[in-house]
Amino acid sequence: MSIFALDFPAVTHLFEWPDIAFSDTYLALNKTSLIYLAGMILTVVTFGLAARKRALVPSGVQHVAEGGINFVEQNIVMQTIGSDGRRFMPFLTSLFFFIFFINIFEVIPFIQFPGNSRMAVPLLLALVVWVIYNYIGIRSQGLGGYLKNSLFPPGVPKALYLIVAPIELFSTFLIRPLSLAIRLWANMMAGHLLLVTFAVLSAALWGFGYVPGLLPFFMLVLLTAFEIFVSALQAFIFTILTAVYIGGSLHPEH
Amino acid sequence: MRARIQDGGRARRPSRLRRRAIAGALIFLVATGLGTSPVIAAGETPGACVVEKVEALEFGGRHGGEALALLEETAARGVDEGAEEKFKSFEKKLQSCLDAPNPIIPEVTEIIWGGIAFVVLLALMQWKLFPAVKRGMDRRAEKIRDDLDAAETARTEALEVKAGYEAELADARAEAGRIIDAARSDAEGVRVDLIARAEAEAAELRQRADQDVEAAKRQALSDMQSEVSAIVIGAAETVIGRNLDHDTQVELIESYIDDVGSRN
Repeated sequence: MSIFALDFPAVTHLFEWPDIAFSDTYLALNKTSLIYLAGMILTVVTFGLAARKRALVPSGVQHVAEGGINFVEQNIVMQTIGSDGRRFMPFLTSLFFFIFFINIFEVIPFIQFPGNSRMAVPLLLALVVWVIYNYIGIRSQGLGGYLKNSLFPPGVPKALYLIVAPIELFSTFLIRPLSLAIRLWANMMAGHLLLVTFAVLSAALWGFGYVPGLLPFFMLVLLTAFEIFVSALQAFIFTILTAVYIGGSLHPEH
Repeated sequence: MRARIQDGGRARRPSRLRRRAIAGALIFLVATGLGTSPVIAAGETPGACVVEKVEALEFGGRHGGEALALLEETAARGVDEGAEEKFKSFEKKLQSCLDAPNPIIPEVTEIIWGGIAFVVLLALMQWKLFPAVKRGMDRRAEKIRDDLDAAETARTEALEVKAGYEAELADARAEAGRIIDAARSDAEGVRVDLIARAEAEAAELRQRADQDVEAAKRQALSDMQSEVSAIVIGAAETVIGRNLDHDTQVELIESYIDDVGSRN
């Protein structure tokens, strides 16, 4: 059993991958970086093939790309920003597909690692979103107007601004990007931990007979299916929150 | 095939979609099973790290486990300061197998690769891919809209043509009705006319017959009167033995006949 204990990886070791190339440089490439690149390539290939196919009745990869665009347009942009949010469609669609493809590697056999269980891309994307919604807010309302609308939301009794303004300051400019990043990262990390736990448990208990081995294995299969759902859900949540923040910067009256 | 025939031509075999779904589920199950190896699912394990560090150890011209045993023994004796230092350093290395950086702190290299990936993706999507796919979708929507408009126009035209045909049909029906009514009315006129003519002819015939009968009757009566008067005169002459003058005879006979006629 001591060997088994050592074979069970330490929690942090589930997420640390050795360098594959360019070791000890800023461009050191590991499994996580490869997954990021794969997420980009898969999105580009999906949309590239869809752009080339142009069938009247979409199917296959064209259906995926066009379905994704329709989904982002109808269920995210139109629900949160409105028709003037269509100009953010390329950004929001890229965000959705990039996050989804990086997440879905969680359940791809032999890769089985969600790139977003590492903090790099969630934090990076959250910072990009932070820059974009602040830039849009300043550009559409002016710096003074944006700060006023952000820190002093209309309809609140003036006395409460003493409490509300600091809360809004932290919420809008600090908590939002952090919560975006941490929500995505923590969900994918927890999912990966769950899958590894049941994978290791299945492998270890297999030696004790079919019944003890099968129980965690079926749990593993169920959780794998659940992680597919979580991968899509987290991509959706990140994208819709981005759209909500952009919509808030464009239309402070809402 | 038999099932198909029995079911009135409807296929009872699993549909292609269902077969694909079953195959996909099986592949998913097998792949998940194959992927349960912790070596595949997880990163570097502490056990592998410790083994790697031990195998890399060199001390006293020995390697691996033997070097570790010699180093531990030498350090425990406390005579070789270098060995003690090396042993402490090796313990730290082993400890590093269990330690790992805080997972919430992102790796700079991963940020760089993630950034490169996202920037490239965004640039391609913004300027090339998204507009191309969206253009295709818009073109299709436009085509469908045009087709629907054309279909609507064709439908309206067809309805107009249908309405024209129906109006013509209604006119034709009305005309036919009118013709039938006129024919019926004409026939009725002819019928009434024929009947009237027939009745008039019949009445004329009847009248003529009556007149003939009357004339015949009158003639018969006259003939009979003459004959009877002659017979009666003869008989009376015979009976009374004398001749009556002619005027008297006639007067007598006619009064008699009139008397008989009034009785009848």
